[in-house]
Amino acid sequence: MQRPDWAPDSIDVERPSVARMYDYYLGGSHNFAADRAAAQAMMAAVPEAPLMAQANRAFLRRAVQFLAESGVRQFLDIGSGIPTVGNVHEVAQRVDPECRVVYVDVDPVAVAHSREILADNDRATVIQEDLRRPAAILQHPEVTSLLDLTQPVAVMIVAVLHFVPDEDRPEEILRTLRSALAPGSYLVMSQASDDDRGETGERAEAERVYRRTDSQLFIRSRAELTALFAGFDLVEPGVVWVPQWRPDAPEQAEDAAKAVFIGGVGRLGD
Amino acid sequence: MTEPAGRDRSCPGTFARAWAKAVAGTSYLPMAQAQLEALLQRLTERLAVALRSEPFDLRIGQQVGAELVRAHIASAEGLGRTVEVIQLRLVRDLGLVAEDVEDRMARLLATVATGYARALRDRTLDEQETIRRAAMTARAQAERALRDSEARFRHQATHDPLTDLPNRTLFTERLTAALTRPGRHADRVGVCFLDLDRFKVVNDSLGHQVGDRLLIAVANRLRAALGEHLVARLGGDEFVILVERTAGTDDAVRVAEAALAAVNEPALVDGHELTVSASIGIVERQVADTTPVELMRAADSTLHWAKAAGGARWSLFDADRNRRELARYALSAAIPTALERGEFYLDYQPLTALRDGRVLGMEALVRWRHPELGVLRPDSFIGLAEETGLIGQLGGWVLAEACREARTWADQAGDAPFVSVNLAVQQVRRPGLVDEVRALLGRTGLPPGRLQLEITESTMMSTAEEPVRALRVLADLGVRIAIDDFGTGYCNLAYLRGLPVTELKVAGEFVTGLRAPADDPASRTDERILAALVSLAHALRVTVTAEGVETAEQAARLRAIDCDAAQGWHFGRPGPARQHLDRSPALSGTGV
Repeated sequence: MQRPDWAPDSIDVERPSVARMYDYYLGGSHNFAADRAAAQAMMAAVPEAPLMAQANRAFLRRAVQFLAESGVRQFLDIGSGIPTVGNVHEVAQRVDPECRVVYVDVDPVAVAHSREILADNDRATVIQEDLRRPAAILQHPEVTSLLDLTQPVAVMIVAVLHFVPDEDRPEEILRTLRSALAPGSYLVMSQASDDDRGETGERAEAERVYRRTDSQLFIRSRAELTALFAGFDLVEPGVVWVPQWRPDAPEQAEDAAKAVFIGGVGRLGD
Repeated sequence: MTEPAGRDRSCPGTFARAWAKAVAGTSYLPMAQAQLEALLQRLTERLAVALRSEPFDLRIGQQVGAELVRAHIASAEGLGRTVEVIQLRLVRDLGLVAEDVEDRMARLLATVATGYARALRDRTLDEQETIRRAAMTARAQAERALRDSEARFRHQATHDPLTDLPNRTLFTERLTAALTRPGRHADRVGVCFLDLDRFKVVNDSLGHQVGDRLLIAVANRLRAALGEHLVARLGGDEFVILVERTAGTDDAVRVAEAALAAVNEPALVDGHELTVSASIGIVERQVADTTPVELMRAADSTLHWAKAAGGARWSLFDADRNRRELARYALSAAIPTALERGEFYLDYQPLTALRDGRVLGMEALVRWRHPELGVLRPDSFIGLAEETGLIGQLGGWVLAEACREARTWADQAGDAPFVSVNLAVQQVRRPGLVDEVRALLGRTGLPPGRLQLEITESTMMSTAEEPVRALRVLADLGVRIAIDDFGTGYCNLAYLRGLPVTELKVAGEFVTGLRAPADDPASRTDERILAALVSLAHALRVTVTAEGVETAEQAARLRAIDCDAAQGWHFGRPGPARQHLDRSPALSGTGV
């Protein structure tokens, strides 16, 4: 028998969802008791967790702003999570209302929520897919109908790669995505890292918290994330702590390592 | 989502910048620093208005609180830092002077906090509501997807992948439902079993792909022609149609005729124009009187009647015929066991010389002492044994038993009668016949000349070269070869040239004519035919035995035309060998 396109997970609100935990870090109320309990456990181990999420979210905003101002009009946001404040389409469509955005997430609740929010926006949509199935994403009818892959697209893989273990061959996932993109496309990635943080036991504790959730945590170094940009030319300043990536004001880049997230933007050459 | 209130172009003052710094990091602020400062500058100006207004306006502070939340400066910390920075710096930074400023400041902070808390509570409740709704939607979708995949799975489990017609499982379900529907015992139901005629030829000659496409074409036609009735594919080229709520047999027959017509249309498959026909077995009866298994079985055997009648037709179930066939089937199934248990035995009927009354030979006739049905004669089971292939086993036993018994007919004079054994066509065609007979003769010590094999004329006509060669080998050994029932077939004499036939056994039909008075013209004709036959046979050095001789008159007339021997009631009914041996003049020495 053929497996359905996506296996119908049981929607279990008793199980922490990384998407809803992230919403909690950002100060949202799109979460359930189990999500809050897990997020609070994480914050007990790593008190800066909300700051990390905020810094990452700010990085996403600045990156989209940068790309839209650079002329990119199509966005594919993989691992978009709960659409809280400052979504890609809000930032991009403020620059140009013609910007088109497809959100992708594996969490059915996040997808259902996104779909409701995007109901009135015919230039933004959401599909339920898994980053680990890039071909399925690229061939999804909503992707092919809303995005023109012969034109530049910005692929966003923000704060999600740390849920993809090396066994799932992230380099191949990225190669598949890259080979489908037109020259002039961009790749935006960020992920949790513990470079320069020393051995504080935080990492083990964070991994322990996330083992209870729907997605496990896989920390990567700056060198590892940089390697995953293979085939893309990194935009200045390269892969850095996310507050250091083109900050609005220089003082925002202070204490950047506290943000835990590293990120960067690469451009696919001609 | 809300438009951030950051379009204000007024330049942020010291207080607004301090405020922005205070709330930074309290929650995610989806705007650049400059936008935040511009927003807070606008709100600062509103607060200044509130502090100065006369009388004090409660609404301004509340609006500022709500606007902060709307701009996503929406957390407990955000409120705390806001209260702190306003309390510490607002009056000083704006250079406000008023005698009741402390009083006004307290009221202002109270209204900001109220507006803020109220907006934050509303926002929290809204977000909780949307996430719960999303969870519910997601669950409903997951359940629907599960149902869909279950439906897909169920479809796969209940449909034939080649033609997408319902399969046996679904058909049985629907049939069972039709038979067990509560309160509808008076309903009638019909089942049409359909099988393509000679479908194997298509598969064998044009390949399975063409065969499969033909099946698809047939399935589509049946579906189109019999829309309202359930058409299922049982496998291979077998289809079945359920005709529910029939008013009578005619309804089922009409459906069968429509199905035959649909199948008969020539089909163009891979450039081959294929015309196929089908056979259909129809069963139609009241639901109360039957079960699914019974209906299917009945329809299946009825289909075989249609096939046996040549195909391209329907047959209607006939209970009497079915009972007979079932009895026959049970009988044939019992043959192997009966052989093991020794339920078969042989009777003998003498072949008597017309010249001197001597018993020349005895025809072995098999009997079955059936434990329930009594003694059965060969006409009630030999045909069955031939159909089922059991004749090889049974015929082999008869041959062996006949040889064994014949060996015991020892005699002093040395010319005991031969034993004459009927061979079925399958026995004649079997490659091992020569070895079997040779081994038997060796084992029993019966001289070859005392064994006669009776072969019917039709067996000879349908026999290929190889078996004829075998018979020749046997004849060379000295075994007698008799043509049984001579005159009932085509009477082709050609084979007499190629075969060392010893004897012709003329069928009883000719002999019956001899019972009429000798001056009856028909009787005279039969006599002349017989006389000519005898003369022809003698010319070929073949003896003639007349079968079915019942009267002394017949015997006399046969003797008159020089017929060699006779068999029939007049000379002895079938019975134990001993009974005839005792009467044999050769053994008793008495003569006729």
